Amino acid sequence: MIKINVVKAYLKKEFSELVRSKLIIMVYLMPSMVLILFGYGIKMEVYNVRTAIINYDKSQLSYRIISAFEHSRYFKTEVMNIPEKEALEMMKRAEIDLLIIIPENFEKNLLKGLKTEIGIFIDASFPFRGLTIQNYAEGVLLKEAQELSQKKLPIVVNHRNMFNQSMRDENAIVPGLLGIVFLVAPAILSALLIVREKERGTIFNFYSSPIRKIDFVIGKLTLPFLLHSVNIFIIFLWATYLFKVPFRGNFFIYWITSEIYVLISVSIGLLVSIVARTQIVAIVLTIIITVIPGFLYSGIIMPISSMKGEAAFEAHIFPVMYYNHIIYDAFLIGQGFSSEKNLFYFFVLISYWIFITVAGTLLLKKELR
Amino acid sequence: MKAFLTVFLKELIMFFRSWGLVAVVLYSFTVDVYIAGKGFEVKPRNVSVGYVDFTDGVISGKILSHLHSPEFQEPVRFLSEEELKKALFNRNIMVGIVFDSDFEKDFFEKKAKLNVMLDATAAAQGYVTLAYLQNIVLRFGEENFPVELKTHKLFNQNSDTPKFLSLAEFLSILTLITVILSSVVFVKERESGTWDIMLLMPVNSKIIILAKSFSQIVVVMIGTIICVGIVLFGIFKLPMNGSFMAFLVLTLIYSFSISGIGLFIASVAKNMLQVAQLSVIIMMPIIFLSGSWTPIYSMHPVLQELSLLSPLRYYIEGCESLFFRGTSVFDLWIDFVALLVLGVALYMFGFRKIGKLF
Repeated sequence: MIKINVVKAYLKKEFSELVRSKLIIMVYLMPSMVLILFGYGIKMEVYNVRTAIINYDKSQLSYRIISAFEHSRYFKTEVMNIPEKEALEMMKRAEIDLLIIIPENFEKNLLKGLKTEIGIFIDASFPFRGLTIQNYAEGVLLKEAQELSQKKLPIVVNHRNMFNQSMRDENAIVPGLLGIVFLVAPAILSALLIVREKERGTIFNFYSSPIRKIDFVIGKLTLPFLLHSVNIFIIFLWATYLFKVPFRGNFFIYWITSEIYVLISVSIGLLVSIVARTQIVAIVLTIIITVIPGFLYSGIIMPISSMKGEAAFEAHIFPVMYYNHIIYDAFLIGQGFSSEKNLFYFFVLISYWIFITVAGTLLLKKELR
Repeated sequence: MKAFLTVFLKELIMFFRSWGLVAVVLYSFTVDVYIAGKGFEVKPRNVSVGYVDFTDGVISGKILSHLHSPEFQEPVRFLSEEELKKALFNRNIMVGIVFDSDFEKDFFEKKAKLNVMLDATAAAQGYVTLAYLQNIVLRFGEENFPVELKTHKLFNQNSDTPKFLSLAEFLSILTLITVILSSVVFVKERESGTWDIMLLMPVNSKIIILAKSFSQIVVVMIGTIICVGIVLFGIFKLPMNGSFMAFLVLTLIYSFSISGIGLFIASVAKNMLQVAQLSVIIMMPIIFLSGSWTPIYSMHPVLQELSLLSPLRYYIEGCESLFFRGTSVFDLWIDFVALLVLGVALYMFGFRKIGKLF
C-alpha cells in the first residue's frame, strides 16, 4: 500500500521549496506566456502589405483594378509613376513588398480578347509571407479580370471551410499549442524536483531511508501534477476568452484528457531524471525530447494525414499526436467520444501513461551507483 | 590597455576551460540550426484528398488528375457523402470534393458548382489548397482566358523554406547565446563574490566591463563564422547577394548591443536561476517585436512604435537584405546606426548599475 504520510510529507516539503525559491511563479507564468506569445506570434495572415502599382494603361479598367486593391484591408496601395527599375530598387531596400505592373493597352487588348499580361513582383525573402501575398494578389486580380472580361467560367468552386469557417489563425494554432505547453512544462518541473536532490546530494536521504520507491515517485510527481492541473483551466480560459477559440465539444473530455496528458508529461520528467545528474542537463534534455516532437508532430505545422513513412511512424511514437487529435476535436469539431477514433486515442493515452510510469518506476534506482 | 587585454584573455581562457559550455555553444550553432532548417516545411505537401463522384467521371477525372504530388496525395474515393464527412471529421483527409450528379450537364451549360470541403484547422494548408483548386478550375474552363498573371517571387524564387528557417534559427540562437553568455560572465563573479574584488582593483571599471563582454562577443563571432560558413553556406546553400564584410560588421554591432541586454540582466539578477528566468522574459518580447513572425507593417500601430526598440528588428532587416535582397550597405546605414545607439544606451545603464561598488 501507498504510505499516505510519506507522500504528504514530500508534498509539503516540495511545495514550500517551490514557493520559497519563487519557482512557483514560473510554473504559472511560463505556460501562459508561451501560449500568448505563440498564439499571437504565428500568423499566416498578413495585413497592410505595402503595395506599389505602376499603371501604364490609365484606362477605366485599370483604375478598377487599382481601386479593388485600395479597398482591400490586406493591401496598402500606392500608385506610382516611376520606372520599373526604380520600383524594383525600392523592393530591394525593403520599402515595398508587392509590385504590380499593368501594361499598356491593357483595356484595349482585354476587350478584343487578346492575351495581356499583368506583372506581379513579390518580395519573397520571407518565403511564407511571400506565398501568402501571392495568393492574395492573384486572387484579387483574377476576380477582377473575370468580371471585366465578362466571360463566365464553367465551374465555380463552392467551398466550405469546415470547423474554422472564417479561417482564423488563432483557431488553427492555439489548440495545437496546448499539446506543447502541457508536454514541456510539467516534464521540466518533475525532472527538476528529482534532479535537484541529486545535484545537492540530498537524494541520499531517499537512498538510505526506508522510503519505498513507489512512495518516492508518487510523492515527487503528485505536486507537478496538481500544480499543472490548475494550468489546464487557466490555459482553457486564455484560449476561449483571449483568443476567442470556439469550444464545441465536451468540457469534461477536454479536462480528463488533459489530466492524463499532464500525467504522461510528469512521467517523462521521471524518465529524464533517471538519466540526468545536474539541473542544467535535465532542463536541456527535457526540452530536446519534448519541444521538437511537440512542434513537429503536433499537426500545427504539418497535418498528420500528410505525413509519410518515417515521419508518420515517429509521430505515432510520441503522445502529442493523440492528445492534439482529441483537443482539436473538443475545440473545433465537437464529436467527442461518439467518434471511435477519439475513444481509441483516449485509451492509447491511458496505456501510454501506464507504460512509461511503470517503466520509470522500475528503472529508478534506490541505491548508490 | 594592458588591463583590458588581461581581463579579456582571462575570460576567454575561462570559457574554453569549461568544455561543457563550449559543447553547448557549438551544438547550438551547428546541429540546432541544421535541425531547425531541415525539420520544418511550411509549404503544403502530401495534402490528403477524398472525393465522392456521382458523375460518369470524365470531367471530374480530369480535374482530379491535376491534384498530384508533391502537393497532393492520390485522391481517395468514397462511396457516399456521409463517409466522406466522417473521414473529414476524423481528420483522416483534409480536403473533400463532391461532384454532384448534374455536374457534367451543368458544366456544358457553364453553371457547374464544385463543392469543396476544407479542414480549416490547418489554415495554412487550407489557404493554399483552395488557391490551387481555383487555379486548376480557371485554367480548365478557358484555354483563352485573356489575362495572364506573370508572378515573379524575387529574392527566393521557390519560396525555399529551409534557407529562410535556417537563417532565422541562426539569428535566434545568436541572440540567445549572446545574452546568456554576456550576463553569466558577470553573474558568475557576483555569485562567488569576486566581482567586488574586481571593482576594488585600481582599474577603471568601465574597462573591466568592456573587456569582459568583448571576450564573449569574440566567442559569439567565432560561432557565427562557423555557423554561417559550414551550415548556412555549406549545407543550406544560402545566397549571399550583399557584402559578406558588411554582414560581419553588422553582426559585431548587433552582438555588442545584445550583450548590452546581457549586462542589463546581470545588473538586476542575483543568481543563475534568475538569469535564466529574466533572459526568457526579456527575450520573448524582443523576438516577438522583431517582425520575424508577424510583419511589422501588419502590427498594431503602438506595437510598430515599440518594435523600434527591438535590436533584433534591425538585425533581421539587415540580414535579410544582405543575404537575399542584395541591398547595398549604404541603404542599410539606418540599421547600423540604430543598433549602435541601442547598444551604447544599454552600456551606459550597465556602467552605472554594475560598475560601482557603492
